[in-house]
Amino acid sequence: MGERSGVGLAEGAILEALDRLGGRPGRGFVKSARALAAVEERIGLAPGYAYQVLVDLVQPWTMPVPLVSGQGNFGGRGDDPAANYRYTHVRLSPAGQAALAAERGQIAPVPIGLINGNTHREGTRPPFRPQGVIGAVREVLRRPRATSRQLIDIVGPPDFITGCTVGGDIDALVAGRPALLRLQARVRISDESQGVIVVDNLPPYVSTDEVCRSVAHRATEHRWARDHPGLGRATRLPVADVRDHSARDRYWFTCTPEPGAAPEVVADQLKEVYGVSTEVRAALPRPLPAMIRQWVRAYHDEDLPASLTVLEDAIASVPRYAE
Amino acid sequence: MSRTPSAGAAAFPGGVLAAAILAAERASFLLVGSAALWLRGEPLPVADADAVIEPGLQNLRCLRDALAGLTVNPRQVPSVPVLLSQPLITVTTPYGRVDCLLERGRRDWNRLVRGADVVPVADAAVLVAGAADCWSLRRQFKE
Repeated sequence: MGERSGVGLAEGAILEALDRLGGRPGRGFVKSARALAAVEERIGLAPGYAYQVLVDLVQPWTMPVPLVSGQGNFGGRGDDPAANYRYTHVRLSPAGQAALAAERGQIAPVPIGLINGNTHREGTRPPFRPQGVIGAVREVLRRPRATSRQLIDIVGPPDFITGCTVGGDIDALVAGRPALLRLQARVRISDESQGVIVVDNLPPYVSTDEVCRSVAHRATEHRWARDHPGLGRATRLPVADVRDHSARDRYWFTCTPEPGAAPEVVADQLKEVYGVSTEVRAALPRPLPAMIRQWVRAYHDEDLPASLTVLEDAIASVPRYAE
Repeated sequence: MSRTPSAGAAAFPGGVLAAAILAAERASFLLVGSAALWLRGEPLPVADADAVIEPGLQNLRCLRDALAGLTVNPRQVPSVPVLLSQPLITVTTPYGRVDCLLERGRRDWNRLVRGADVVPVADAAVLVAGAADCWSLRRQFKE
């Protein structure tokens, strides 16, 4: 498993197990416990470890293009974890099926690994917009002399599924050098409720409950601030109230500034709170255009346009990319 | 050279503020890593706070209380007996991650403290390792 789709060893073993157990798109779900037993038999990975990988493959806020569809409680972005594997069910998603077909040589390779990256598992490769990656591969197929700048422009910056903004030295990243990416939630002043600040599109990989607690913590007067008033002023947020409005698939909260505090100033201060902004260390093994060109060169004798179409169809089933 | 921004949270990176709060809570540690180098004037992005913890039961008790008050995830803060045996713990705070380098403290506290000096962060005094030690540790673990 790996080169033809870019999915990892454990991920590939899960996809294989689901296929063998009949857990395919449009068909029934398979008990997670059965799938994990099959993974253990195949690669020796204990269910407790493999389940962490399986949950990542299901959660739509973790992987831009989920490779597995889940039924049951797969947790939330807050502190609530997924239910035990005895109580959840899974099957291949269309993208998971495409990855598996590519690995088996049934279709030409698909660049799912490049799209999903591995920062969700504390790796350094960030995700990119699916249409951008596929578009860049098509461009190299069509015009092998497309310049690096053109390919970089087609791919676009790293794209995290939660819709957070991505800052940092992206030019260095796509040139193959390590970069620290700054991921930031959307922080805006509400049109409806005067002065209330709305925070949504939170960065991935942080608990939304922890972010709310971070803001509440920063709004609290702490005992040490009596002896260190300067540090107290430098750290305290003038926020009177924090409310978590998260429900189902939408995670957002609001902050009401203290009387007399300018919402614009508080909004800027909120952007510095951990979780509202986070940093991710990112690095690509080679410059991004070289990765794409090398990938096309390695498989140029296969029907890449057809496999890209299969992948595009699969990605169309992901709500965020449906339109 | 050291940095002394005038005031305001935005003037200090989160990792530096987290270290200042630990210092205000009277935990004894030496700041190393990117936050320390930033305080020494290096133009580095500060991703977290790396604190070499002074060994000793009393300080670990103080550290535990300080971390419990600072974290947004109390489950990350272990008991004092665990702190005595762990090489490193990471705690998530509203200012970013704080890595407490316990084993490094047990092994190198006396050596590192000789090259350290106090740098003010707002009105808190943070003990910061010498630049040469910071770079040396960074090369050892990052490059």
